[in-house]
Amino acid sequence: MTSPTRAAAREVLEATDDSLLDLVDNLLNRGVVISGEVMLGLAGVDLVYVRLQAILCSADRVEQRHAR
Amino acid sequence: MSRVYLYALLSGPPACETGRGVCAERLRIVATGGLVALVGDVVDAPAPSALTLRAQDAVLRRLATELDAVLPVRFGTLVSDDVALAEALARRQPQLARALGRVAGCEQMTLRVWGDVATAETPTAAAGGGPGTRYLAGRRHAHERARRVPELEPLRTRLADLVREERVERHDRPPLLATVQHLVRRGAGARYVDVVDAARDSLRPWRVSVTGPWLPYAFAEEAA
Repeated sequence: MTSPTRAAAREVLEATDDSLLDLVDNLLNRGVVISGEVMLGLAGVDLVYVRLQAILCSADRVEQRHAR
Repeated sequence: MSRVYLYALLSGPPACETGRGVCAERLRIVATGGLVALVGDVVDAPAPSALTLRAQDAVLRRLATELDAVLPVRFGTLVSDDVALAEALARRQPQLARALGRVAGCEQMTLRVWGDVATAETPTAAAGGGPGTRYLAGRRHAHERARRVPELEPLRTRLADLVREERVERHDRPPLLATVQHLVRRGAGARYVDVVDAARDSLRPWRVSVTGPWLPYAFAEEAA
């Protein structure tokens, strides 16, 4: 079953452009991480999923561009 | 029950209106232990979507025009209340203050290195000693390689006067070979792009793509 977060990740990736892929990488995989009392609103597994997909999509995009 | 959604740490309270956040909540400033945090009160963290990611970045970019330093916090970070926020920040106060100082007056440019084949490994020195020594030498080589981008050597001297700090992430999965984040002075992004464009021929067979300027997302990691 697809989780809501995973569905949202798919939405990001399907409607994206190069700069949005960087936005995904920056906002979901970088930035200050504070643990302890803090609850992350996103599950770690989904972060990994989004990141891998972002990199793969971005690679595909470059391949297409150079194939033109 | 609402919780506190943490957007960023700031170099100081902004002179402008903080405005509204990703969930249309009114943003507010929490000053604690020498740090200034930008927060909103929400029931749940926003789900990641093109809209919410862009919205969060836009909130921070708007404030960055008024402030010397904005240190973004990872998307989706919630704390239960202001007391929990103060405790969480107090535990990392020295690191966070240093990170704010590091990114002050700077922005981030992102370079990606592309190629059809992985860059050849640098030959290791003749292995001597026993299997333990060879194992450790291999580990050291892998560690050093993870921080190197030999594909960009022709570009390094040209960018030297623009780049203040660098973060490298090797992927080595053709066509994506590496991602390099550069911290540059604010306003230097256009010149950075020009320098990269002028160096493209000298980088062949490798290709590079540039995006930015971004807020310094990649330079907040060491505060973790």
